[in-house]
Amino acid sequence: MKFILESSTAEHSCRKKKHCCLFLAILWLLMCSSSASAQQPVNGKITSADTVLSAVTISLKGSAVATQTDINGKFSINVAPSDVLVVSFIGFISQEVPVRGRRNIDIQLISEAESLSQVVVVGYGTAKKATLTGSVVAVKGADLVKSPAMNLSNSLAGRVAGVSAVTRSGEPGNDGSTLRIRGSNTLNDNTPLVVVDGIAGRELERIDPSDIESVTILKDASAAIYGARAANGVIMVTTKRGTSGKPALNLSYNQGFVKPTVIPKMANAATYAQMVNEIKVYRNKDIVYTPDDMQKYKDGSDPWGHPNTDWFSEVYKPVSQQRDAHVSLRGGTEAIRYLVSAGYRYQDAIYRNSATNYSQANFRANLDAKVSNNIKLSIDIAGRQENRNYPTLSSGNIYSSTMRGKPNIAAKWPNGFPGPDIERGANPVVMVTDATGYDKDIRYVLESNARLDINIPWVKGLSISGNASIDKYVDNHKLWQTPWYLYYWDGQTYDADKIPQLTKSLRGYATPQLQQDFNNGNRTTLNGLINYSTSIRGVHNIKALAGVEKITGDSMNFYAARKNFISAAADQLFAGGDGTDQTNGGSASVNARLDYFGRFNYNFKEKYLAEFVFRYDGSYIFPAGKKQFGFFPGISLGWVMSEEDFWKRNVTLINNLKIRGSWGQTGNDRINPYQYLQGYAYAGNGTNSSTYIFNRTEENKSINEIRISNPEVTWEVANQSNIGLDGQMVHGKIFFSADYFYNLRTNILAYRNASVPGSTGLTLPRQNIGKVINRGFEFQAGINNKIGEFTCTFSVNGGFQKNKIKFWDEVPGAPVYQQSTGHPINAPLYYEANGIFSDQAAVDKYPHWANARPGDIIFKDVNNDGKIDGLDQVRSDKTDLPTFMGGISLDVQYKNFYASILIQGASGARRKQFTFSGESGNFLQDDANGRWTVDNTTAIKPRTWNFAEEYWMKQYDINNTYFLRNNDYARLKNAEVGYNFPASFNNRIGIRGLRIYINGLNLATVTKLKNYDPESNSDNPYPSNKVYNVGFNLTF
Amino acid sequence: MKKIISQCAITLCVLVLINSCKKDFLSTKPLTEFSPDNTWNDPNLIQAFVNGIYLNVDNPLNGGDGLLKAEFVDEMQDQWYSFFEFNNCLITADNNLASWPHENWSKIYKNIRACNIFFDRINNVKTFDSTKVDDVRPKDRMTGEVHFLRAYLYHQLASLYGGVPIIKKAYGLNDDFSSRRDTYADCIQFISQECDSAAALLPLVQSGSNQGRATKGAALTLKSRTLLYAASDLHNLPVFPAYAHLDLLGYTDGDRTARWQLAKDAAKAVMDLNQYSLYKALPAPTDSVAQNFADIFISDQTEEDIWVRYFKVTSLNYLPELNELSLVSGPNGYHLYGEDTPAGEVVDDFEMSDGTRFSWSDPAKAYEPYKNRDPRFYSSILYEGVHFKQRPSDLTTLDAYGNLQVGTWQKWDASSNSMVEVYGIDSRKGPIENFNGGYTGYYLRKFINPSTNGQFNTNGSPWRYMRYAEVLLNYAEACIALGQDAEARNYLNMIRKRAGMPDITESGSALADRYRNERRVELAFEEHRFYDVRRWVIAPQAYKQFSGVNVLYKMNPDHTTAAIPEISPYVVQKSAWLNKGYFFPISRDELNKNSLLVQNPDY
Repeated sequence: MKFILESSTAEHSCRKKKHCCLFLAILWLLMCSSSASAQQPVNGKITSADTVLSAVTISLKGSAVATQTDINGKFSINVAPSDVLVVSFIGFISQEVPVRGRRNIDIQLISEAESLSQVVVVGYGTAKKATLTGSVVAVKGADLVKSPAMNLSNSLAGRVAGVSAVTRSGEPGNDGSTLRIRGSNTLNDNTPLVVVDGIAGRELERIDPSDIESVTILKDASAAIYGARAANGVIMVTTKRGTSGKPALNLSYNQGFVKPTVIPKMANAATYAQMVNEIKVYRNKDIVYTPDDMQKYKDGSDPWGHPNTDWFSEVYKPVSQQRDAHVSLRGGTEAIRYLVSAGYRYQDAIYRNSATNYSQANFRANLDAKVSNNIKLSIDIAGRQENRNYPTLSSGNIYSSTMRGKPNIAAKWPNGFPGPDIERGANPVVMVTDATGYDKDIRYVLESNARLDINIPWVKGLSISGNASIDKYVDNHKLWQTPWYLYYWDGQTYDADKIPQLTKSLRGYATPQLQQDFNNGNRTTLNGLINYSTSIRGVHNIKALAGVEKITGDSMNFYAARKNFISAAADQLFAGGDGTDQTNGGSASVNARLDYFGRFNYNFKEKYLAEFVFRYDGSYIFPAGKKQFGFFPGISLGWVMSEEDFWKRNVTLINNLKIRGSWGQTGNDRINPYQYLQGYAYAGNGTNSSTYIFNRTEENKSINEIRISNPEVTWEVANQSNIGLDGQMVHGKIFFSADYFYNLRTNILAYRNASVPGSTGLTLPRQNIGKVINRGFEFQAGINNKIGEFTCTFSVNGGFQKNKIKFWDEVPGAPVYQQSTGHPINAPLYYEANGIFSDQAAVDKYPHWANARPGDIIFKDVNNDGKIDGLDQVRSDKTDLPTFMGGISLDVQYKNFYASILIQGASGARRKQFTFSGESGNFLQDDANGRWTVDNTTAIKPRTWNFAEEYWMKQYDINNTYFLRNNDYARLKNAEVGYNFPASFNNRIGIRGLRIYINGLNLATVTKLKNYDPESNSDNPYPSNKVYNVGFNLTF
Repeated sequence: MKKIISQCAITLCVLVLINSCKKDFLSTKPLTEFSPDNTWNDPNLIQAFVNGIYLNVDNPLNGGDGLLKAEFVDEMQDQWYSFFEFNNCLITADNNLASWPHENWSKIYKNIRACNIFFDRINNVKTFDSTKVDDVRPKDRMTGEVHFLRAYLYHQLASLYGGVPIIKKAYGLNDDFSSRRDTYADCIQFISQECDSAAALLPLVQSGSNQGRATKGAALTLKSRTLLYAASDLHNLPVFPAYAHLDLLGYTDGDRTARWQLAKDAAKAVMDLNQYSLYKALPAPTDSVAQNFADIFISDQTEEDIWVRYFKVTSLNYLPELNELSLVSGPNGYHLYGEDTPAGEVVDDFEMSDGTRFSWSDPAKAYEPYKNRDPRFYSSILYEGVHFKQRPSDLTTLDAYGNLQVGTWQKWDASSNSMVEVYGIDSRKGPIENFNGGYTGYYLRKFINPSTNGQFNTNGSPWRYMRYAEVLLNYAEACIALGQDAEARNYLNMIRKRAGMPDITESGSALADRYRNERRVELAFEEHRFYDVRRWVIAPQAYKQFSGVNVLYKMNPDHTTAAIPEISPYVVQKSAWLNKGYFFPISRDELNKNSLLVQNPDY
């Protein structure tokens, strides 16, 4: 009666508050009702594995009576013989234990981690981890919520071996990671298939992590049950469902503070002015900046005439915010169980006066009804609204303008007015605001699913189920562009008060203009499954699944645009100009798939394991008839050595060891549809460049041949082989797992252009001719330990993979060092930078480009022909995707405190670095420091350059290895420190659980790459985010 | 209970079966495409297909970048890209023509394929209306247009590469793709025949909605241009004596005089149509001749137009538009890019108004170089001090008059008791976006409609692929080659009269020189010079350098600033020539793919 006693003390303290009393009165009534029948105490002990658990809540089902275990894991509670105990503890699976008149009940809890390791979600069902033969890994939702990342794809990095998640941009609403399972396998689309609650093709990024039970990743041929869509691996997300028991109301709230991980360090005004002078000298022109100017840039004595602007600090604020709130109600009875949740999140951008932000509201209702003993019906509905707000100029344009921003130009004048642009209105201080109009995108997602499971009672082990799902996506996009204003000073005109006279300047657009887009997409998934499982004499265990699935989808879009608004007051289409400058258009597409699939599992005493999966896929992408369908099998075998008697007798260190191997063929149908058809289409997409004007102003449609048909087109095939090992040592305290895989992707659709001369003029269809080999290994190992009240889990994972093109239609005759066959996908050609010409003598001595001068980059004469030309380029072996990714995670718990750390790293990629430097834009400080000058001829960095004027700087790209940067890194991806309030506290204030924590994202990084985030690959990225977050999680 | 369950199960199975039996739903159709059957049975789609060939003819303004061919010869200097490799003959079979943004082998052949598809299909189309428009049936008109376009495409190829494979079929996937280069002579003959076929089918005038389509006159003008090029030195003199395949580069036998005669006849054929005349050929005494000439290029239509491409004025959208010339070439002091600016070389070739040559070494002429020049100078070039147009409102305080300022002013600053230098708004040191200032001291005026606000709108001026002045010049050139000097002078002087210039009286090689200069200034920046310096084999003169001027308003001893600046030429960018530049290289890729191909000399 401990709880009751404490409650009555609480009652005293708040007697004056009427509503409180009312609440307690109801509580009292409830308690009275439950203690109506004859009561007697029952005692027990709660343990997990070998350890006792304290602070576990034991309650009576259907009543508010509850208690907790003490420090020795012991409890005592008054019950009626017919009561049912509900045992729950964070991180463990809740259990219901009927008392049945017993006086002493000891209960073993199973941790969620363990449970996850016991059962995993696989395609169209679940499988026991112990008898799993494929390469399948899982992450708990509880781990994913430890990351304050606003985009789920960013939370997977470092958690799972063999899965890489690289965050290229941190822009709110546009911050998804590039996900790859086992790296790149094809010259085409490498995106994995996402399956959410059994429905393929749903989106991963915007699922509320608090709703997630687990994420499972199928890495090898076990994914063949998804056939033609599985070649790049499958990510399966399972959301939480209701549990029977008292309703649990859970509230959580997170407040995050966001900073960029890194900001480029740019040259200051004095350095920049000096460098511009050098450009002039190299061009034999007079210098522009006098020593007096330099002095003023340095000392800041003339803020109007000689500013020293740090553009990044003018454009970025020190810290921005993000918020995330989530509420869920979970509970149920034997007959109906429910999970209902709602969430809201908001993410601001790092800009000052930002027009950029992302917000999302989402809900989910997962209902399970047990209609009868043999019929179960589940209905899931989830929806969300995603709001993206941007200024009218892209983040790339903003970043590039900030980077170009000349430090000797004012971002804002001393009186606060915005300063001039670089050109065409590009002053990023204004570009980030709503002064240029807005770019607003609202997406609605509604996903629904109904599932019926029927046990056929007269055949034991036979069940059938059916799924019907309708998903709907609607997108409303509105781009409203308005003129904006900047202020110039001519450097000489002053007003009467001797203050510089600024002139206001109209920039951007002469008149406002508006564009609106509307997109609508639907997907219907219907499937039916038959499951059968049986065990013959308890040794031959058989499970079989067969199913059929039909997926249809359609999408349409519609847009309209007007220009020449006479006023910016009405941002609606009707108010636009009626002249020729108005456009509208639209298009649509449909798709359809029909698939038959199945799985057959057999094991002998759970010792010898075998699985066969297949899918017979039909897709709209291919021509009707035989070619429309493809067969994809997967087979895997396993041997649990530790189940053998000799092992049990002789090996004590390793308690569990399984060897498994798989082979299969999966397909990739992420290719353009209708390649078997010859077709003509409008040039462009309704843009100006697609019409030809006759009669002065009449725009005429034009069509082009878009492809000639390839009647032979077929699936890309992934031949996947995998061998792996899973084991446990020291009674499960140490676990390990390792995989080696060899993927040969064949039938890759590639253009046969390389052997078809340009004189044919053919727009070739792609043909199934490419071959790529991708191989690598993965490992995962860890320790679970508990010493006294100190619990610790430590694990390491890593994945290494390397792909190379085995065959595609490469132009013959190119030198070996330029061929891409044998090199990774997308490896570029570069001249090899080989130092800097120190002086004219050095230039004269070595082959060089015709206009090379001291301070220029030396290109290596690779073929030793005494001249530098196209033949001196060499195929690189590095791309912008890492070949190794790994993570180290550590979770510790001491009493009610816990901490969790995830360190993640990657290596093997290279990044290009390109800036618009010169008279048209600023230099990185790093390029300024130690550059070649007439006084520093032994420099290892080139002289000051002027945008694309030098042969070693090309417009919009780089052509040599000097500008390639090593971006290997290791970073503290996540860290969380938290406190679980003790039961005594919880009981006093009438809650079931309270946790407070601080956590963070990308908190610290070790890398050689300066100025850019190592995960970014664009020259003009939105910076990646570093997040500091505080939050709480409250359960009633 | 059992009953309910079994009913449910049966229903479910039946549902699934029904769904799976109907496999038709898998055979969807693309909703944004036209099938060959749709296309080739619908005259409107066939028309759109022909429009597509027009659209894919190289846009001289090249999709927004405003990269005129003038930047690849001594007409304009591009301060942003500079095209160093191209203008120094560093192009190789590997470096993809070093950023050449215009037509090339693959682009042209792609469009030729479209022509060939058209010819494969057109005779099987049964749905054409036989109502005549402009006295021609639609099917014949379209057929004529495609003959013309195919001729134009092969003309482009032959001008850049010499003899090329003449491909008249639309290849299928399983065909043998290798093909030999046809001789230059065969190419010219083919183009000439195509022009004849086109001329026979096309109407004299394309009226109404067809205006802008090829006409009989366009076909004959193309023939004139082709035959003139073919008769020129490059294809008739031994420029590459050591090259093993001279028949790919030009004529190896036959009578050159006959070729000149053909060229002359072809030009005459256009004249004999009596369809075209020079715009304001006889200027009224009150006319500004310079304004007349400027108007040709910003008008929607003149009697001089033979084949034009229209562009519309539209607001810029931060995406490449089709004609951004006013933005790209306009002065930085108007918030424009000043990217490609006229080179001193062409500026200096505009004669004095009395018909004498301009020269920097003549102190009288160099003192005020922009005074008393050929009126076409004023319609083609913006230079120091000239009135262009009102500045944008935010810049009127810097310059209320809208006069171009590329110079430097030395001014006395009484407060500091010293001389200060003030830089012109349109110079590379000026106060407005000076990194966009041109290096040459000149900006482009030809083609630019001053009423276009280049900051916000595209330049709507049509591009004249062909105008009558070229035909007269082609005719004169053939006459000179044939020794018919008087006839040549006649036509040359028609052009000069319209331009307000005194007659040419020379004969012989002096006349030929005057002719070449006349063609240079009359057709400046119009894509002719690039080919002319090649076919005349005078490229070494044209690829020396790009010059500009320094303009300095000096301070007088009395601390006033001179009203007349000192203007002195200087070299902006060096160029260099190698003879291989007379023909483009065939890319190594292409040679590898088609083993029958032969590379051009010196690559």
